[in-house]
Amino acid sequence: MRRILPALIFLITAAVAQAQTTPFDMSGERPKGEPPATPQIFTPQPATPQTEAPKAVAPLVIAPQMTAPQAIVPPAATPQVVAPHMTTPAVPAQVTPQAAPVVKQAAPATPAFRRYVVPFAKFRLEGENDRRSWSIYLTPEQAAAPAKFNFAYQNAVVVAPEASQLTVLLNDRVVHQQQIGSPDSVSDVSFDIPRGLLQPGANLLTFEATQRHRTDCDIQSTYELWSDVDPEKTYLSFTGREAEKLSTTDAIRAIGVDGAGKTQYNIVVPALAQPGTTKPLLRLAQGLSLLSGMPNETFSFGTDGVPAAGPGKMTVVVGTPAELQPVFAAPSSAQSGALATFATDPRSGQQLLLISGPSWQAISAAIDMVVSPTDRDPGTRRDLLVTQRWTAPDAPLIYSGTSLSFEQLGVKTTEFSGRRFHTSFNVAIPSDFYANAYGEATILLDAAYAKDVRPGSHIDVYVNGSIATTKPITASGGGIFRQLPIRITMRHFKPGLNTLTLEAMLMTDEDTVCAPAATSSTTPRFALFDTSQFRMPDFARVAQRPNLAAFAGTGYPYNRDTEPTTLFIDRADADTLSASATLLGQMAIVAGHPVAVEPTTSPNTISGRNAIFIGSISQLPSTILSQMNIAATSQVAWRPPTPGQAGTQDASVTIADWRSRISGGLLQGQFDRFQQWMHRNFDISLSSLRFMPSSEQVFTPSNANTFLIAQEANSTNDATWTVITAPSAGDLRAGVEAMTSQLDWPQISGRITVYSGKTGKIDTVPVSRFDLVMSQPWSLTNYRLIAANWLSSNILSYAFLLVIGSLLLGVSTASILSKIGRRE
Amino acid sequence: MQTVSSILIWAVIALCGVVLITLPVNLQTQLIASTVVVTMMAIIKILKRQGTWRLVALAFGTAIVLRYVYWRTTSTLPPVNQLENFIPGLLLYLAEMYNVAMLMLSLFIVATPLPPRTARALKTQNFPSVDVFVPSYNEDTNLLANTLASAKAMDYPADKLRVWLLDDGGTAQKRNSTKVLESQAAIARHDELKQLCVELDVEYLTRERNEHAKAGNLNNGLEHSDGDLIAVFDADHAPARDFLRETVGYFEDDPKLFLVQTPHFFINPDPLERNLRTFDSMPSENEMFYGIIQRGLDKWNAAFFCGSAAVLSRKALESQNGFSGISITEDCETALALHGAGWNSIYVDKPLIAGLQPATFASFIGQRSRWAQGMMQILRFRFPLLKRGLTLPQRLCYMSSTLFWLFPFPRVIFLFAPLFYLFFDLEIFTASGSEFLAYTLAYMLVNLMMQNYLYGSFRWPWISELYEYVQTVHLLPAVISVMLNPRKPTFKVTAKDESISVSRLSEISRPFFVIFAVQVIALAVTIYRVYAEPYKADVTLVVGGWNIINLILSGCALGVVSERGERASSRRVRVDRRSEFGVGDKWNSASIEDVSVHGARLNVFNKDMGLVKIGSEAIVRFQPYSGTEMVTLSVIIRNIEQMGDITTIGCQYVPKGAADHRLIADLVFANSDQWTKFQQARRRNPGIIRGTVWFLGLSLYQTSRGLLYLFKGVGAEKGQQRQDAKAKG
Repeated sequence: MRRILPALIFLITAAVAQAQTTPFDMSGERPKGEPPATPQIFTPQPATPQTEAPKAVAPLVIAPQMTAPQAIVPPAATPQVVAPHMTTPAVPAQVTPQAAPVVKQAAPATPAFRRYVVPFAKFRLEGENDRRSWSIYLTPEQAAAPAKFNFAYQNAVVVAPEASQLTVLLNDRVVHQQQIGSPDSVSDVSFDIPRGLLQPGANLLTFEATQRHRTDCDIQSTYELWSDVDPEKTYLSFTGREAEKLSTTDAIRAIGVDGAGKTQYNIVVPALAQPGTTKPLLRLAQGLSLLSGMPNETFSFGTDGVPAAGPGKMTVVVGTPAELQPVFAAPSSAQSGALATFATDPRSGQQLLLISGPSWQAISAAIDMVVSPTDRDPGTRRDLLVTQRWTAPDAPLIYSGTSLSFEQLGVKTTEFSGRRFHTSFNVAIPSDFYANAYGEATILLDAAYAKDVRPGSHIDVYVNGSIATTKPITASGGGIFRQLPIRITMRHFKPGLNTLTLEAMLMTDEDTVCAPAATSSTTPRFALFDTSQFRMPDFARVAQRPNLAAFAGTGYPYNRDTEPTTLFIDRADADTLSASATLLGQMAIVAGHPVAVEPTTSPNTISGRNAIFIGSISQLPSTILSQMNIAATSQVAWRPPTPGQAGTQDASVTIADWRSRISGGLLQGQFDRFQQWMHRNFDISLSSLRFMPSSEQVFTPSNANTFLIAQEANSTNDATWTVITAPSAGDLRAGVEAMTSQLDWPQISGRITVYSGKTGKIDTVPVSRFDLVMSQPWSLTNYRLIAANWLSSNILSYAFLLVIGSLLLGVSTASILSKIGRRE
Repeated sequence: MQTVSSILIWAVIALCGVVLITLPVNLQTQLIASTVVVTMMAIIKILKRQGTWRLVALAFGTAIVLRYVYWRTTSTLPPVNQLENFIPGLLLYLAEMYNVAMLMLSLFIVATPLPPRTARALKTQNFPSVDVFVPSYNEDTNLLANTLASAKAMDYPADKLRVWLLDDGGTAQKRNSTKVLESQAAIARHDELKQLCVELDVEYLTRERNEHAKAGNLNNGLEHSDGDLIAVFDADHAPARDFLRETVGYFEDDPKLFLVQTPHFFINPDPLERNLRTFDSMPSENEMFYGIIQRGLDKWNAAFFCGSAAVLSRKALESQNGFSGISITEDCETALALHGAGWNSIYVDKPLIAGLQPATFASFIGQRSRWAQGMMQILRFRFPLLKRGLTLPQRLCYMSSTLFWLFPFPRVIFLFAPLFYLFFDLEIFTASGSEFLAYTLAYMLVNLMMQNYLYGSFRWPWISELYEYVQTVHLLPAVISVMLNPRKPTFKVTAKDESISVSRLSEISRPFFVIFAVQVIALAVTIYRVYAEPYKADVTLVVGGWNIINLILSGCALGVVSERGERASSRRVRVDRRSEFGVGDKWNSASIEDVSVHGARLNVFNKDMGLVKIGSEAIVRFQPYSGTEMVTLSVIIRNIEQMGDITTIGCQYVPKGAADHRLIADLVFANSDQWTKFQQARRRNPGIIRGTVWFLGLSLYQTSRGLLYLFKGVGAEKGQQRQDAKAKG
């Protein structure tokens, strides 16, 4: 209390604050007559006089003003945000002489403040060319502070240093470039970032690698090329305590990651067990998740003690001053009104986010202050799926026939001299995408290849890692493709984020000969132009129930609920709540807004509404399990083996496995060969010959599984129920934390997805029978496309309809012909 | 009312069908659906179901064809920015769409052809007066004598029947020509025919000037005659005795009737039939038209006038100022005008005349050029789709008949399309191998099956393609020229009584060998590319396969243009007629086995014919159809063969006057049943598989024959005959 000297941040005048619609402006909601002091946002008392800092950064204020409104609304936070700042180095340049002395004074006194920057657990640059780009959010203080960039890497032995380069770009400007030559051990690299290059808000960080093989020239050899960047040793270090300071709640966006690419919120709520706290807390979790937008976020609830601080971690203390008494001394202003501010914990000295108020109602209001900027009406469309914190630019969300140039998708015009070129881009599609079976997207390729490229080379397109099409290069003597259509099956598209990879396999005679140093040739063989286009046709749009892929893609159907989604939590212990918060946080990110939830403990009140059930399996009502087509016996039988027990073998021998082992008779063999041929060439197997989807089988989780997520329609078939469960609350929390990671979350699909904690293996039970839920207004074209997709997946039905149609046509034609014309 | 509701039901079903067919389903679905549909179609075909099942099978086929059209339109056209691919690609696409459109028109026309009418001859009570017109330009007197004699011998009250020879070869214009040779010939002809007409008791009519060709000639006949009905026979079309009895009765039934058309039956083979030796075993080319299409047209009251073997109403003709003559196919044009004026036509599906068709390939092409050019002129000047007065079905029928003659364009495109890829590496049809299998192969199969279903016993597989191909090479320039210059073509009379004494290549055969050579090179390129460019072997194989089909066709065409020498200049017709054979004053009973316009072959029942010598005169006595009394005809013996009790004697007529021509006509032409019988004997449906295998064998053999003719030149006849014998053995 004594050390926290609350200071109103009127850094910006009230008028300016309103003009830029700051996230915490509640003027519109405030009842008249109440004191206007409610939006109290406090800064911790800094060591240096507070007044100096604003002065120093005064010219900079213009920059945050510009970025702030854009950053608040995530969909608008396009890469363009970054662009204008690169071109305005003049402004920071003026700042430097003023700011520098201040920092220099502080430098020797305090250790450098580190911010890890790699949002992945492992970061590898592969192949002959690779490029990864994402944005990191910096507070104004961080942007202003002198910074050093550190990274460490090791590369494959076969990478030829003289022909390989690693480039680091910040805000599209090269800040470091070097040969790749650290095959034996990890090399640390450190360099200063030019002053003025960093900006408050989003900064685009790009790693680019060009790698060539030492000896081999074949395409196969390019798969041996890699450079690993160690996330734990890759960070920005800022000089001075100033950079560490979190002044406004906007700093939540700058939380960043730890050395393993994770982000963790520790929420301390002494009154966690009280009923009524769950709902605001889950809203808070979603808001925090959305504000930072990080890929691997976890939430951890605790009731006592402030956990240790660290990079990529943030402690949030929530409660009335009275409740907080044992853990944290809330400022007296919390007694009078809602409060959301950064404060310094007197014990550990860490900065934490304090949310307090005289009552839980006031706390809810405070939470709203933090969360409301992320709110969005579920009915409004967003144009982007925000991904820039781990892969930039954000993915455009495509709802209907659209053409996007590669430039818009972040693919640059590139010349390439190696043998395997690859580049990727992201697009997002809505949850009611229903064109897997029939749909085809098109890439209109603008590219060129040199005359030494041999026919037989090809360009492959992958969708989410599965090959979608191959376009052979058939002409020799070089060529230019101008808007060459490459059709891509949409079979591997899924709701939410999709990654398309374009790979060019270039074969030349020189590579066959492979003279020494041939790999280091820089004569371009291939060029890709950013005028190429990705064209998505109008596609069938109808939601499917169940469809966990849509749940994982955009949080469907909960993202579209206009009324709060029912959340069934039987026992609100810390583990279950942490799991719920982590899950909802991830859902909020994919949904683009916080999903309103209404926690309940009574399953009977749910019936006709969309609902999420979360809890250990024994806590779940058995009727829910039977609704999910999960064996009721698993409530008692599903127990992961305790360490002492011998690991149960995962017996997964199938008849299909045995079929390949027997030779069969002559006729049988012929038939099998035919079947294989059909499968190879047309992707048709006996099982795909069907009239209707087959019915669902009852699922029993194996004891190797430690986590399960299932979705099904409710008993009255008018709502979607999703069950997230595990044998125990601990497993549940571990499972959710694992599955919400950026790598594993997209793998959730089908009607049931199970996860095995020990092996990290994820299995899915595909949806066989599902309901179509109309998500779009009635339109003939949409119905036509829906029918096309349904019939394309139930092949025999189409043949049947065609036969029936022809039969009727023939009969009716006969009947007409017997009536008109001459007929004697 | 019932009709309206069934049309409504049909429209709803068709609409549902279109919606179903235009769904963008995926490749697998298409593959399975087309497999199922093709199988169903094949089953219906194997079971030989007719009636409603026939239409169901056709509906199946239509579904696959429309799926192909949908796919072809939406996903196979090359991108517009690659003009080198797009332009040929679009041409190919248009060619295919033309074919589909023609298929749809044919389906409409021949979905349910009218069954042949029951014989009318015995029911005919009233006998209106009939003028028989035999227009002639340059035909030989003997030929005319047979035709006129046959016409005169028709079974009809003599006072109601007047036969007119309308001679355009002896007009005043020709006789007074400044070219002495021409005028002399015209004068001689004029006198000779006048004489013949007097002998046969036939009217001879000629005119001042050769204006408006055949139409003008016929109109001149109209002016000078006054019969209620007009029967028209080409100079080489001799009618059977029952011709008028089978036809005139219909005019009594329907006062608005303007035309009764009957089929053209030919007793000699066309060059294709002659050179491929299919005349006796395979139905003739025109049987598809007269056996099915005219019956189909008849259902829609759109059977049209084919220039000969028809009876027309004078009242109708006069209402439209006689025969129309803007185009060089005055027959179809006249019918179109009369249909447009609300007159009706019917078609009697019974061969009642026997005629000659061009024997050499060159005159065959000449005839087809005239038809094609004439139909183009009709399309240009009387566009049937928009012509007033026609019913909708009639419009479609005439469009089908005229548009048919555009076939040289798609043919040429199909011929050259694979070469674009094989030689120039252009991708004018963007599809993968599996798409090709699922869509194109199914489409081609269905096309073959539908053709076989529609025309089965009238047209064997691949024969239409062969006919189209052999005509295309020379028809294309003709069609293009008429398009550029629609008033230029003039009526040229087709020569039909030529004969080929020695084996030779047709004088217009060279392009066929050039095309064949190019395709052989393309085949070599295919093989080379399959090995040299394995990464696109699938496309190369598909395109190469297409080229091979073209190669098979053009190989077979080499046989068509390699004209076989033939000893007998005129065709023999099998008859089986009781007669007596007299040598000196000794009469033996005999039967006439076969006859031609020049001679006959008899089986004489006598062990002792030793006295008879080759070259000696004899007399054949028989009872003509036209009378009850026995008549005699003098002959010269040309050939004797002894076989046990039977002596086979070949002899040549020695016609001594018009009366003898009557007898020859009676022997050869009088009995129409024999034509029917002959046609029936050839009408077999070999089915698609057997037909295809047969065609392959035929093509292989004809290719070798064509090449042999080319390399050995004219003198190769003997070796050729030996080889023929070997091939037969």
